[in-house]
Amino acid sequence: MPIIEVKNLSKSYEYYRQESGLMGAVKSFFARETLYAEAVKGINFSIEEGELVGFLGPNGAGKTTTLKMLSGILYPTSGDARVLGFKPTDRKKEYQRQFALVMGQKNQLVADLPAMESFILNKEIYEVSDNDFKKTLNELVDVLDIGNILDIQTRKLSLGQRMKCELAAALIHSPKVLFLDEPTIGLDVVAQKNIRDFLKRYNKEKKTTIILTSHYMEDIKDLCRRVIIINLGKVIYDGAIDELIKKHAPYKLLKITFDENGIRRDQVEKYGEVLEFSSYRAVIKVARGDAKKVAIALLSSPLPVDDILIDEVDIDDVIRKVFGK
Amino acid sequence: MKKYLTIIKTYWQRGLTYRFTILAYRAGEMAEAVVLVLMWTAIYSDQNVIKGFTLPEMITYFLIGNLFSAATRNFLPGLMSRDIKDGGLSMFLLRPMSYFNFILSREIGRISFVTALSLVTNGLIILFFLNYFIFNFDIPYLLLIAIMISLAFIIELLISYIVGLVAFWTDEVDGLHSTFDKLKKLFSGGYFPISILPAIFVNVSYALPFAYSFFVPAQLYLKKIDLMAGARGIFVQIVWIIALYAISNWIWKKGLRRYEGVGI
Repeated sequence: MPIIEVKNLSKSYEYYRQESGLMGAVKSFFARETLYAEAVKGINFSIEEGELVGFLGPNGAGKTTTLKMLSGILYPTSGDARVLGFKPTDRKKEYQRQFALVMGQKNQLVADLPAMESFILNKEIYEVSDNDFKKTLNELVDVLDIGNILDIQTRKLSLGQRMKCELAAALIHSPKVLFLDEPTIGLDVVAQKNIRDFLKRYNKEKKTTIILTSHYMEDIKDLCRRVIIINLGKVIYDGAIDELIKKHAPYKLLKITFDENGIRRDQVEKYGEVLEFSSYRAVIKVARGDAKKVAIALLSSPLPVDDILIDEVDIDDVIRKVFGK
Repeated sequence: MKKYLTIIKTYWQRGLTYRFTILAYRAGEMAEAVVLVLMWTAIYSDQNVIKGFTLPEMITYFLIGNLFSAATRNFLPGLMSRDIKDGGLSMFLLRPMSYFNFILSREIGRISFVTALSLVTNGLIILFFLNYFIFNFDIPYLLLIAIMISLAFIIELLISYIVGLVAFWTDEVDGLHSTFDKLKKLFSGGYFPISILPAIFVNVSYALPFAYSFFVPAQLYLKKIDLMAGARGIFVQIVWIIALYAISNWIWKKGLRRYEGVGI
């Protein structure tokens, strides 16, 4: 039985427009026209226990709105969502004790107090026993390497340190389902990698079901085997990352380096579409099935080939192509 | 119960973080009280009794009343509207604990230290004007006052909670809060003893919850009303608590459907 099931889920928001300038503000003070924006339009998907699924989509695609509906923060306008057999908006305590939501741009830690105080607060709110708390906390502190910052006011921490503490706070009650909304936003490359490594390990060891949204392809590529791509409130792809590449990128890249005196552009143009070119390096796009054949042809040609690398196209390009449709 | 105590403790700690703010507020409190005493002393300069109040009674009325109002106030609406407007409420909706229980515990934790300090400053002011201050050590009266003040604290919390919930519709509630505060001060007798107004006004005030955080306990303290009238007041307070609780529940359910959890 799937652990998360979403059927025809929709959500629309109320908003109004305001003309710029003082007159616009005065006008909208007296009369505003209420408008509705459909953030999520009838999406469907289901997720099994232990899966780590990536939610992809441009800003405003409806990713966060979906996570908020799954967490019971927002009431869906229509449709149905079930997580662990619960209807999220019922906000049953039994459900709330089994999931966590971490938002990269929103903190649950009390900013003016050390992280440890927030951990203790969560321990009591989630009714975690002293023993479990000690055990979980030790593990988290160890893996996240936050032992030496637990007694510092949270607002004095760097973004990377804070994010680690946010994660720890959210995992104190050992949730079965974890929603992560851009957990690596704004972090530097090293900090991003730390968070990713932690999530990978956590998912593997605890069998926690995780949905992750991110703008960083690295996050998705590294962590998720399955992606759900959302654009303009609709699911436009749901499946394995590899399949996505095969389906939307029916070609491969040949990355060739040359030695000696180099080459001229027209010498490689006949092998395929040239994407990048300099005298000593060229990147050529060829049909997926032809990659080997073209490589052999290049090697047996009189060109001074030093090395050939057959590579997949960058996932970013694939995604851009999918969104572009 | 332990979780509520932990919340109270945590936010008590947070409150202690900003020493300067806490002390700075006390200066204004003291200055206001001194001005009040000077003003009434001037008004009484050519008469001994105004509407049944002697000067010591009037000064005692304000000094003890300020003490009561310091013990019953809270700062909930501003915090709540921020939670709702900026989406901070989302974090509370996730937790296996109701927002109502959480913010009430949080508010008690937040204000307990401030309230304690405020009681000390108000006590100091009383010491300063000791010559004018009338003492009452009648245990039944003091007991009744203590119950009334505790209930008034709960009522004020519930009213603030409801004002805060209006942010679901309006995003900001500063205007409403300020208007409510002024009405409250008027009906509670914070500007002047409401008994100097026509009887109809006084009767209306007795039916409203506000007078029980200032006027009624101050009058009890001065023994200008008897224990029986005080007990009736307690009854009115209990009815208000039930009504306000029901209203707040209803508004919460309605408002939550409008909540958008923005800013994320």
